[in-house]
Amino acid sequence: MRILVALGDLFGAGGLVRIASAHVSGASYKMIGDPGLEFLEDFARTARVVVPTTVNPLGTDLRQWRELGVPPDFAEKQARIARAYEAMGVTPSYTCTPYELRRPSFGEHLAWSESNAVCFANSVVGARTNREGGPSALAAAIVGATPAYGLHLDEGRRASLVVEARTKVSGFRASLLGLLAGKEAGDDIPYFRGFSMDEGDLKWLGSALASSGSCAMFHLDRVTPEWRTARTKGLRTVYVSAADLDDVRKAYTDGTDPDLIAFGSPQLSTEELARVARLIDRRPPRIPVWVFASRTARDASPDAVSVIERHGGRVLADTCLEVTLLEHRFGTVATPSGKGAHYLPSLCGQKVILDDVEALLERYA
Amino acid sequence: MRLAARRIAPGRADATALVSRAPFSFVGGADPGTGEVLDDATGVRGERLSGRAFAFPHGKGSTVAPYVIYGLAKRRLGPAALLTERADAIVAVGAILGGVPMVDRMDLGAILTGDRVVVDADKGEVVLPDVRARSVVTAFLRNRGRILVVRRSERVGSFRGKWSGVSGYLEGDEDPKARAAQEIREETRMRGARFRAAGRAMTSRDGATAYVVHPFLFDAPTRTVRLDWENVESRWVRPEELDGFDTVPRLIDVMSSALAAGGLRIRRPGPPSIRKG
Repeated sequence: MRILVALGDLFGAGGLVRIASAHVSGASYKMIGDPGLEFLEDFARTARVVVPTTVNPLGTDLRQWRELGVPPDFAEKQARIARAYEAMGVTPSYTCTPYELRRPSFGEHLAWSESNAVCFANSVVGARTNREGGPSALAAAIVGATPAYGLHLDEGRRASLVVEARTKVSGFRASLLGLLAGKEAGDDIPYFRGFSMDEGDLKWLGSALASSGSCAMFHLDRVTPEWRTARTKGLRTVYVSAADLDDVRKAYTDGTDPDLIAFGSPQLSTEELARVARLIDRRPPRIPVWVFASRTARDASPDAVSVIERHGGRVLADTCLEVTLLEHRFGTVATPSGKGAHYLPSLCGQKVILDDVEALLERYA
Repeated sequence: MRLAARRIAPGRADATALVSRAPFSFVGGADPGTGEVLDDATGVRGERLSGRAFAFPHGKGSTVAPYVIYGLAKRRLGPAALLTERADAIVAVGAILGGVPMVDRMDLGAILTGDRVVVDADKGEVVLPDVRARSVVTAFLRNRGRILVVRRSERVGSFRGKWSGVSGYLEGDEDPKARAAQEIREETRMRGARFRAAGRAMTSRDGATAYVVHPFLFDAPTRTVRLDWENVESRWVRPEELDGFDTVPRLIDVMSSALAAGGLRIRRPGPPSIRKG
């Protein structure tokens, strides 16, 4: 409660608002280390969540860590973090795509951390959450409420920048546009126009946007649920061409010879898992492939999993690309994920090749 | 000297100051096992956080910081208080978890490492019992994009030989703007300088004295200046040239404040366009 009051004061909130769910970041031992483990174990002695609460991916897949070459000490501490969250009553989902597990409703207030989940919930669903940190989302889960400021209020959800694409944007290019726009936008709320896009692509647009920028929300003209109330009059407009998008791909590519192809970040949905399996089946790559999916998506896709495994790939659940331990084995990663390309150099010490799924599978087949 | 601040985390402390001039990350910036400062950019590398009133402009970097602050506090290796210019959610949450009193909206220019600091976060107040405050006005004259700077003579009471704006002490209840206009007339003999804007006051230290500087911007009708005994040299410079001058402390900040109040900005090179990582 003291955390929520301090944050409310800090940001000038008028009071607290009840939340329908919480999503907590800070579960990977690689990210939070011994200080995080110590805090969570102390906290779990007494704290219990009072709203449905999910938690971010772990630092490895606890069912496959031995095969991945993860040190036993790392796996043991990672398991203790998972147990601490479970003791608090958190759903053991370990996902960065909680919106695919239990979709919030339009207008619902949430306390979510994990930038891509925040961006999706606000922009695509029309639910309301600020970009919470791990401890503040956990505090909100325990109290059942969060300070009402920023994106919980109508005036905090208006556009503050227009991004107009003068080229077709879909599929992989959604990630490129997200990376480019995030850099322009910082913590603005961009209003995109000039293209249309389905929900599958919006996930990748938002996750890239929230990585290179600190955007918690975007609008897409005539598509996202709050575009009519976004108020774009008088805003600065940034124009994006096909050449700009290709420049982004080149700017994020500094590797030449990948040791690993990685799909996911955010974790793949059931449909995305099926598509990747189909493509791998058509062009089996000659280097290792790791596919990150939520536990729910993996368990629901036995056929896709067996296709990927038959071609030497792995489907990892409960973890995700940049929070997982991979730097002990690899030096260069090829991925279509804009978010992955953004974080792999700093969080995993990797060189990156950023390109389309099909281009990557063709090149390394 | 008494400084106003805003409470972020409750509590009181009476401690010795440790001041970082650079933004600080508790992850990588301090050893979680000993509380020793590891970051060179702070200017206080090798000092311990333990029991200190730790002052830094604002937090930066990793979101794991709250856990580190919590762990340090639990082992009694953490700071006795946190003093910042701008609180961010990450450090604020760390202060709450660790039970460390914290304030923001501080003018850190008033505090030096080693000062005794009495913090009362609940009252929103920080007292420096051993420091005396003196109020000063500094006026910047502007003519066709250039600003007048003057070099202080060997006969003035402080900052001898340093470059500054046109300055003078503020006595009693005197109106700072009127004092600034008066100093311009005395130190430059210029007539017809027109008041343009007043910047936010900021503090700089010289020993046990804290100078609370009130910045002003005036439009000058001419570049003709006749100095009195207080200054020995004058130049009309572009604001971005100031880096090359040996100035009184924080002159660039004081000038920025005056220019910003007048709707002007010091141009500096921007960041590259696409950044990775």
